Amino acid sequence: MERESCEIKDFKCHKKRIQRWHNRFESDISSLIETLKDLKDSSIEAKKECSEHYARTVELTKAKTRFTFEVSHELKAPLASVYNIINVILDGYLDGDIKKQKEFLNRARVRIKNITKLLDDLLMLSHLEERTKELEKEEFNIGEVFSSLIEEMNEYAEKSNVKINWNLSENCPYIYGNSELIRRVFANIIHNAIKYSNPGGLVKITGKKENGSFLLRVKDCGVGIKKKELPKIFNIFFRGENARPNQKKEGMGLGLSLVRRIVDAHEGSINIKSQLHKGTTAEVSFPESQKKEK
Amino acid sequence: MSKEVLIVDDDPDFVETTEIILRGNGYKTRTANDGEEALKKVREKAPDIILLDIMMKTKGDGIWASEKIRAEEDLKEIPIIMITAVNQNAEMVKFHLGQELDTEYMPVNVFMEKPIETEELLKEIDKLIGAP
Repeated sequence: MERESCEIKDFKCHKKRIQRWHNRFESDISSLIETLKDLKDSSIEAKKECSEHYARTVELTKAKTRFTFEVSHELKAPLASVYNIINVILDGYLDGDIKKQKEFLNRARVRIKNITKLLDDLLMLSHLEERTKELEKEEFNIGEVFSSLIEEMNEYAEKSNVKINWNLSENCPYIYGNSELIRRVFANIIHNAIKYSNPGGLVKITGKKENGSFLLRVKDCGVGIKKKELPKIFNIFFRGENARPNQKKEGMGLGLSLVRRIVDAHEGSINIKSQLHKGTTAEVSFPESQKKEK
Repeated sequence: MSKEVLIVDDDPDFVETTEIILRGNGYKTRTANDGEEALKKVREKAPDIILLDIMMKTKGDGIWASEKIRAEEDLKEIPIIMITAVNQNAEMVKFHLGQELDTEYMPVNVFMEKPIETEELLKEIDKLIGAP
C-alpha cells in the first residue's frame, strides 16, 4: 500500500493519489474480467466437449443396438429357412419326391455355410475393431498372394461364365502386413467383380507398383452400383439393389465392410467407382515396406 | 373354392417352403418378394390373408406395405400376419425402421417370430380366416 500522504489543502497531491488508486483499481478489474472470460471460455469449451461426448455415446449406443439387431436378423432369417426346409421334409410334405428333397437339403447346406461364413467374419471384425489381438504382421512379397488366388478366381470365373484378364507386374513389392488378410481383400474384390458381371463379361485385373505402394485395380463391366448407394457400400450388411438378384447364389459375409477395416489396419486405401449398368472399378493399395524387392 | 394366402418375403427358401406347407394343407397361395410387389398383387386380386415379412431389403418393407393396405377402403379388412426374424417388439421395429410410429398402432393382426412352427402358423391362419 502507498504510504505517501498529502497536505490537507494540497488538492493536486490528492488528485494524483486518487488517480493512482483509480488506475490500480482499473487494472485489477480488467485482469479480473480477463480471468472471468477465461473461466467462461473454458466452461463453454468443457460444456461443448461434454455434450459432444454425450452425443457420441448416444450415437455409438444406437449403432451398437442397430448392429445387434441386424446381426440377429441376418442370422435368424436364414436359420428360419433352414428350419422350414427340415420341417417340410420331416413332416412328409415332400414324400415321394426324392429329387426335391435333395434340392432343398442342398439349399439348407448352402445357407448353413453362409451363416458360418458370417459368424467367422463377425469374429474377425471384432478382432480388428477392438484390437484385442494385435494383427500378426510380417514382410512378404505381395506376388506370393496371387499364386493360389489366380487359380481360385479363374475357377469361379469359369463357373460364372466370365473371363478374367490378369495383368500383374513381375516386379511386385514387399508389404509389411498380414498376408492372409490381404489375400482376403483381393479375393473379395475380384470375387465381387465376377459375381456382378453379366454372363460372358470380362474382368480386367492390373497389379503394379505405384507411388510407393502396390496397387490392384479390378475393373468389371457388370451391373454397377447406383450413385446414391455408393457411399453406403462399406456399411455392414448393406447390399445394393442390383446385388440382390444374386442373393441365392453366393455367400453373404460382411464383404466390403470387412475389406475396409483390413485395409485401414494396414494403412492402405480403397476406392470404388461405379456406373450403373456399365460396371465398377475397385482400386486397393497397400504401402510398400522398405525391404528390397525380389 | 379354397382360401388364398399371399406369402410376402424376400427369402426365396422361406417363401417356397411356406408355400409347400400351406398348399399341403389345402390353401391356395400366391407369392411376392417385396412390399411393392405385394401391394400390386393385393390390388390385382385381394387374397384372404397375407403373411408379410417385416424386414425386406428389396423395395418396400412390411410396415410400409401393411400401412398402404390398411389405407385402402377395399383392402383394409384383409387379415395380415406379420412375420419377423428378430422379435415382435414394436419399439424395436420402430427403432430399426427409423419411423415415428405410434407403438399402440400396428397395422397388422398378429406378429409371429421366425422360425415359424407349422402348427402355430396353421392355427393363426385358421383363427383369422377359418379352414381352407
